[in-house]
Amino acid sequence: MNGCGEREERIEPELTLGELDRDGALTEAIAETHGESRAEFLRKLALGSGALVGVLAAPPPAEAQVSEVAILNYGLGFEYLQSTFYTETERVGTVARMDERRATWARTLGAHERAHVAILRQVLGERAIKKPSFNFGGATETPNSFTRTAVAMEDLTVALLTGQTPRVRTPALLAAFFTLLTVEARHAAWARRIAGFQPVGAPLDQPKTLAQVDRAVASTGFVSTLLPRTTAAGRSPRFTG
Amino acid sequence: MREQLRLDLEGSDPYGRQREGGPGLPRGRLLRSGLVALGGVVVGTAAGLGVGRRADAAPSRRQDRQILQFLLRLERLQAEFYAAAVNEGQLEGELREFAEVVGAQERRHVELLEERLGAAAGEPPTFDFGEAVANPDRFAETARQVEELGVAAYIGQGANLTPRVVVSVARITSVEARHAAWIADFLGRNPAPRAADKAKTARQVEADVRRTGFVT
Repeated sequence: MNGCGEREERIEPELTLGELDRDGALTEAIAETHGESRAEFLRKLALGSGALVGVLAAPPPAEAQVSEVAILNYGLGFEYLQSTFYTETERVGTVARMDERRATWARTLGAHERAHVAILRQVLGERAIKKPSFNFGGATETPNSFTRTAVAMEDLTVALLTGQTPRVRTPALLAAFFTLLTVEARHAAWARRIAGFQPVGAPLDQPKTLAQVDRAVASTGFVSTLLPRTTAAGRSPRFTG
Repeated sequence: MREQLRLDLEGSDPYGRQREGGPGLPRGRLLRSGLVALGGVVVGTAAGLGVGRRADAAPSRRQDRQILQFLLRLERLQAEFYAAAVNEGQLEGELREFAEVVGAQERRHVELLEERLGAAAGEPPTFDFGEAVANPDRFAETARQVEELGVAAYIGQGANLTPRVVVSVARITSVEARHAAWIADFLGRNPAPRAADKAKTARQVEADVRRTGFVT
């Protein structure tokens, strides 16, 4: 596969976006893949520092664990960004001014992103980062600015997720990652068609490193950084993006 | 129209926005639907297709090859499907654009997988798509189902891959999801009906493909 080879060679230590599902759903998926009941899974998830380590099955080295937590936390930061953006657009009445097709699209994406936040918080437990504060400027105030921003955000999510897949080593989480990747790609294609663009670009979506994603996010001015400097549990994730 | 289809890859759902994830649904229902949707996630293996084992077939180079062979069979079907539809000359407007653009991308996926597999790629089968490429309505609905099948197949294998190939496969996976969303929106259906997509095992995918009768 062209280009993929080189890309794999220079994977940077970055994080990912995990997009997860409405609360319970992804958890269920993860439990399912481990052949456990949801209750057993949740018990193992136990909140607390051992949460991911316990669930994510026989972790290799400690650093890989930190890395997965960091990936999920970066994902959570990104989901906070998206869900807040969609929610605010509804709250200020912009969605209500859209035609029915566009309003359905905006509300559906909002519902999905809020669900993704809920499940990521559940999976991360007390290691979950806090919600940053965002300032969307005028981007939520008109249907056009909202739509353009949504297209960019959804395409960026796809680039982020594809780039992080090799860093997710726990099978259950990787499976979950793929289920979310395709949803974000659907959002992106849908957004592009609504905005009058061709829904697909290249035959292969282009991954972005965490650093590239963070630069793109920072350039919007919506938030200074999504990179959590420390997790809620007080540990510094090791990444240099 | 759906009755004519030979593929039946998902439940009947004529109005996408009434599905989970759409606005206005009570939360409890959203949650239940999400749970159902995700119940299909299986970490199985394509190894020896037909097995669809749950959980923990450790990724390996050998398994990568088997999975790529499995995905190649699906990509070949898709590529030939679009080529045949364009060749029939019945498509117009955006549907024709869709078939041309997506068809070219599926061909690229085939090439990439063949390159990666080398001699292990094997020879492509022959196909007969019948009415599904001759009638634009049939084409559009079949395309939607074929793309949904591709999405479910890729999701089902993602976690079984080694890090060596997973990013390449992820980059194709998201493109398949874009195709699925495009044709769904074109057809007036919900392009993103769930907050998390469903997976299918290799065995389920192979069974769906057999039912189409497209592979001769």
